Parts: sequence; C-alpha cells; structure tokens
Amino acid sequence: MPKPAEDPVLTSARREAIIVFVTWIIATAYCIGYCAKYAYGRSIDDLKYVWGFPDWVFWGIIVPWGVCIAFSWIFASIWMRDEELGEDPPGTETVGEFGQGG
Amino acid sequence: LSVLAATQPAWGTLIALGIFILASMWIGVLANRAVREGSFLKGFFLGNRGLGSWALALTATVQSGGTFMGYPSLVYSHGWSVALWIASYMVVPITGFGILGKRLAEISRRCGAITMPDLFRERFGSAALGLVASLFILFYMSFMMVAQFKAGALIMKISWAGTGNWSEEQKVGRYQITDAALSRVSAKQQTATALKPLAGQTFADERQLSDAVQAALKSAKVNADDEAQQVVKQLASASELTDWPYIAGLTIFTVSVVGYTLIGGFLAAVWTDLFQSVMMWFGVVILLFLSLRAVDSLKQQEAVQKNQPAVAQMNSLEFASRRAVEKTSPEFAFCPGYDGRHEGRMFLPLGLGFSFFCIWVFAGLGSPAGVVRVMACSSTTNIRRSIYLLGGYNAFIYMPLAMVCICGRALIPDLPVGKTDDIVPMMAMKVTSGLTLGQFIGGLILAAPFGAVMATVSCYLVVIASGLVRDVYQRFLRPAASQIELERLSYFVMILVGAIAVLANIRPVDYLQALVVFSGTGCGATFCVPLLMLVFWRRATVPGVFASMIAGAATMLASYVLGGVLGYGSALFGPATSFRPYYLLGVDPLIWSLGISAIAGVGVSLITRPCDDALLAKYFNAPENDASPPKLAGSPAEVSA
Repeated sequence: MPKPAEDPVLTSARREAIIVFVTWIIATAYCIGYCAKYAYGRSIDDLKYVWGFPDWVFWGIIVPWGVCIAFSWIFASIWMRDEELGEDPPGTETVGEFGQGG
Repeated sequence: LSVLAATQPAWGTLIALGIFILASMWIGVLANRAVREGSFLKGFFLGNRGLGSWALALTATVQSGGTFMGYPSLVYSHGWSVALWIASYMVVPITGFGILGKRLAEISRRCGAITMPDLFRERFGSAALGLVASLFILFYMSFMMVAQFKAGALIMKISWAGTGNWSEEQKVGRYQITDAALSRVSAKQQTATALKPLAGQTFADERQLSDAVQAALKSAKVNADDEAQQVVKQLASASELTDWPYIAGLTIFTVSVVGYTLIGGFLAAVWTDLFQSVMMWFGVVILLFLSLRAVDSLKQQEAVQKNQPAVAQMNSLEFASRRAVEKTSPEFAFCPGYDGRHEGRMFLPLGLGFSFFCIWVFAGLGSPAGVVRVMACSSTTNIRRSIYLLGGYNAFIYMPLAMVCICGRALIPDLPVGKTDDIVPMMAMKVTSGLTLGQFIGGLILAAPFGAVMATVSCYLVVIASGLVRDVYQRFLRPAASQIELERLSYFVMILVGAIAVLANIRPVDYLQALVVFSGTGCGATFCVPLLMLVFWRRATVPGVFASMIAGAATMLASYVLGGVLGYGSALFGPATSFRPYYLLGVDPLIWSLGISAIAGVGVSLITRPCDDALLAKYFNAPENDASPPKLAGSPAEVSA
C-alpha cells in the first residue's frame, strides 16, 4: 500500500519554521556576542555615540534590528508559501457549537 | 520632585481619554452586530475566523500594559541595558507567525477548534489533556490580568484633575502615622514607646518608613532587630492612606473594558485592539517627537548658561543620554545596567541578556491569546502580510519608547523608586504642558498606554471566559447547555473576573513587569514544546504532551518557589522585585523549563503507544486522504447529535 502523501501545509510550514529558527539563532548569536564584547565592563570615557545612541546599542541592536526587518519582509514576500487552510468540519454551524470538536 | 507639581493634570486630558473610551465602546457595539451573524461561541470567542492581516499583526503579539508601563519603567530605572533586554523583538514578527502560524490555523479548521484547549483535545483525542491545558491557561492569565488592571487604573489616576496623594507624596505621603496606627502595632513596650515620636509624620514609601523606624529605635537606644521588620510591616499596613483617585481610575477602567468586551466578545477585543494599536503608534511617535523637542530646549538653555556652544550642536538623544548618566552614574549607559537603589543589583548580566532573547520569542509562541488569534485568521496570505506589518510596527514602538524614557531620565531625573511605572504618563503630561491644546494632546498620548492595557485586558477576558465556559462548563459540567445559557454564563464570568481583578488591585503590586514576565514565561514554559509537538510531530502521544506540559510548568513554578518564597539565590540579580525566580547558573528558568519540557515530551512519547492512525491521517496527510476521526467519548458533538 503506497504511503499517503504528506499534507503540503505541513511540508511548507516545517521548511519555513526551520528558516525562522536559524534566523533566530543568528540574530541571538550576533547581538549577544557583540554586546558581550562592547556593552559590559567598559569605561564611560571610551563610549562613542552614533546618531545619539551609545555605540554598542547602535551596532549591536539597532543595525541588526533593521536587518531583521528587511529579512522578515523578504521571507514573508518570497519564501513563505500561500496555502489553502481548509474549512471547519461540516455541521459546526448548524448544530451551534456542538460540531466535531467545535 | 518639583516636576510632579509642574505636571498637573487637567480636564482636557480626561476628555481625550473619555472620547477614547467611547470610541472603544462603539467598536464593541459594531462587533456585537458581526458576532450575531454566526453561532454564539464561534462568533463570541473566535470572531468566525475572519481576522485580516492588520488585525492579526497588530493584536496577536504581546504588547500590553507591560509595554507601556513596565518596560519604560525598566528603561528609566536601569538605562540603555534595557535595549538588550528587549532586543529579541527584532525577530518576534517572524517567530510569532512563521513557526506555528500556518499549521495552527489549518489544524484548528480541521478539528473545528475554538480555543487552545480545543486544539489539544481534538488533535490528541484526549478530553483530559484539554482540561489540563485550560486550567494552566486560567492560572497564568489570572496573573497577567492583575498586572494589567493596575496599569489601567494608574493612567486614569494620573489624568485625573487634582490627582491622588500617592503622586504628590512630597505633600501628603503614602503613609500617615497616627496615634491610632501606632496603637495597632504589637511590639515590646520599649519598642512601642520609641516609635511614639513618629506620630504625625508622613512617608512616601515603605523604604522611608523603614528608615524612620530604624532611626527612632536607634535614637531611643532600643535594640529591636528581631521585630523591626515586623513593626514596619504592621505600621505600613495601619497607616496607609486610601488612594481614592486610584480607586476611581480602577473602577472606570474596569467598567469600560469589561463593558465593551461583554458587548462584542472576541471581535470587540480584536477590533478595539487594532484601533488602540494604531493609537499607540501615533502616541509613541508624537511622544518621541515632543520628548526630543523638550530635551532640545533644555540643551539650548544649558549651552547658553554654561557658555558651551558645542552642547547646542549635540544630537538631542545624545544630550539626554549624557545628562541621564550625569544624574545617575556611568552604569546607566552600559550593561548590566544602573542600580538606582545602590544595593549592588545586576539588572542584566550576560546570562539574563541571552535569556531574554529566548523569553520574548518563546513566550510569544506559547501565548494562548496569540494562538487563538492565529487560529482566527482568515488565510495564509494574511499571516504573511502580518509579518511585515508587525516588523514595521515594532520598529516604531520599542526603541522609540526606550528613547522617550532616556529623555525622561534627563527631564524628570528624580522619580522615586517604586513610582517609575508612571514615567510614560508623566512624560506625556510634561512635554505637552504649555502647548496649544496641550492637555488634549497629552490625553491622546496617554491613550496609547491606556489602549494597550485595555486591549490586553479585553483579550484575556475573552480567553478566561472561553476557558471556563467552553472548556470546563460545556465540556465537563453541562455538555447539553443551550446557547442562551452559555451566553449568560460568558457574561457572568467576565463580570466576575473584572470584580476579582478590582479587589486584587485595591492594594496594587509594586512591579508590574515582574507579573507580566511570570505570566508570559509560564505560558511559554508550559505550552511551547507541546504546541510544537502538536503541529509538527506525528509520534507525539497524549502521555508525552502531558509530561511536557507538566514538566515545563513545574520547572518554572519551582524556580519561583525557590527564588521568591524560599529566598534562594541572590535577590540582587535581575529586576528589583520580591516576586522573582531562582536563576540557576545565571539564566532565566524559561530556558531550563523548555529543555526539561522537551526531554519529558520526547522521552515519554517514544516509550508510549502512538496516536491512532485515523487521527494522525486527519492532521498530517494531504486533504484528499482525509478520513473522519474517531469521535471523542463524552464530546459535546456526540451529546448534541
């Protein structure tokens, strides 16, 4: 008996979840790594300001935040696939709330 | 504290807030008409699955009273380190919708789920699993609700003409020591005698009162170390003044938010949330503009007074930052953050900085309120659009709010410890004073935090009511309950929850953000791994998901018992609050909870019998292979059929 086909929404959702998870790891590694080096144990005399922000805030948080927004837009526009979500089981409406599970 | 006197509230502000409340009520009425088009439960608790991208993007994440009260309070108290604390919001738009969104929306349709416990119940064919999920949700949501009501009441109070005595504590004080209050303190004779000179004095907070008690005992040469702390607690309780404007604010806030949620249910919560989110955006942008303008004015004054032309050319935010550092210490500009109490606190050590990169992401994933909204979305196109809408929206909320509070430290440098939750409302009042229609603009800015709080409360009211009515009453107590009975019960539950929240907030908690973090991380610890198992893993079993939920929740609760109740670990680690967890190896308990939850879930699933093939085929196979799932014994579906 042939193996039944996997739900295409599951296939695309899993692929997208992996991309998102990797993005989160990269963002965490960069921000925590940068801030660990430049936001802790510094003297105020060394502090520079970039557009009014302390330098570590600008390069360690503001810039990656901008990159993440750009990436999110690309991800949502190009990589994320539209899928048919289906309908509620028949009878959910006609029997009030007492349809299958609903 | 002269600035407090300078930021006197007035009627224009109240009128603006009143218009905002009326608009929310009107939206509730519109939502009520839409709800009536479908069945009561599906319409009232899920909006008939019709959420568009704007509603989904701007309402499904965790903006709350914490965003506009707790978070700004932390920035004001600890400085730029809070930028790292909030930084993971840069990925929240894609993690919030990109990991679970599509599958949750799909599975909830396949099984007709209306609530998050419905999802667990139907996906795994276990009524008990649904009940446990429901009880956990009710538990965590109750904490979040308590925190939100305090925030709403505070905003109303600050905008009240002739505001309450807590805000003007330099005049009246929070604690007023009378002979009657002293007589209610049970202590040794010599201790009681030593305290008598305190009669007639007033104190702004418990710390001041404690210092005065210690000084009185010392000057009378009374050694009362064993009972001093107890005496302070008793005296504080006996002498605390009733803060009537706060109580009035609490009442008005509760009546309005419970009112419109009662009228329109889930759709009212979502539509008002959307309206309020747009108001928040405008509120923050206007507040940022006016705050930088006020700092610029201060900068020009200082440049002239000190004859330093270079200061006049400085970026306003940099000036505010430098001035905040002058008023506090260099720690304000770095991690782990400024310690305003000078007690050696480490607000954000690196381990906690890393933890918060997990907290906001996984707390968002496991949030029942967010899950329900994703279930209610109308299509995957709207999920995609929500990602870029939310990305842009967050960029104009979190860092601009941090900038406002840095300006706040420069403009209002001496807000007392314990009053820092008020910084955004105080700034709104301060930067609009002297403007044409300033009071009215101040009110519109105040509508931002007020809207955030109202939106959160209305959403949680719906989640709590649906949990009690749908998941407990209808599922277990009266499966054959009529529509009108469920409707009346839903209204009753919402009113009851509102009344309990008012009672719980008459003496409000000190740190709003601590409750918000507990509730959010608790939900993340309990539901994140089970939800991932639910949507992606065929081999997940009922005992496995049970184990995952309970292990995650138990780890989180154990850490709060160890840290907050038994006092293990340093109290000088993380935010200053007695409601704190134990940070094992310096990281937040959510990290440990997620790990233990995953190990328990996977381990137990692998050694127990897999779910029924028909059930798995329904949720994991392509639609053409769809088979009717086995009906659950005792299901309302069966009863009604």
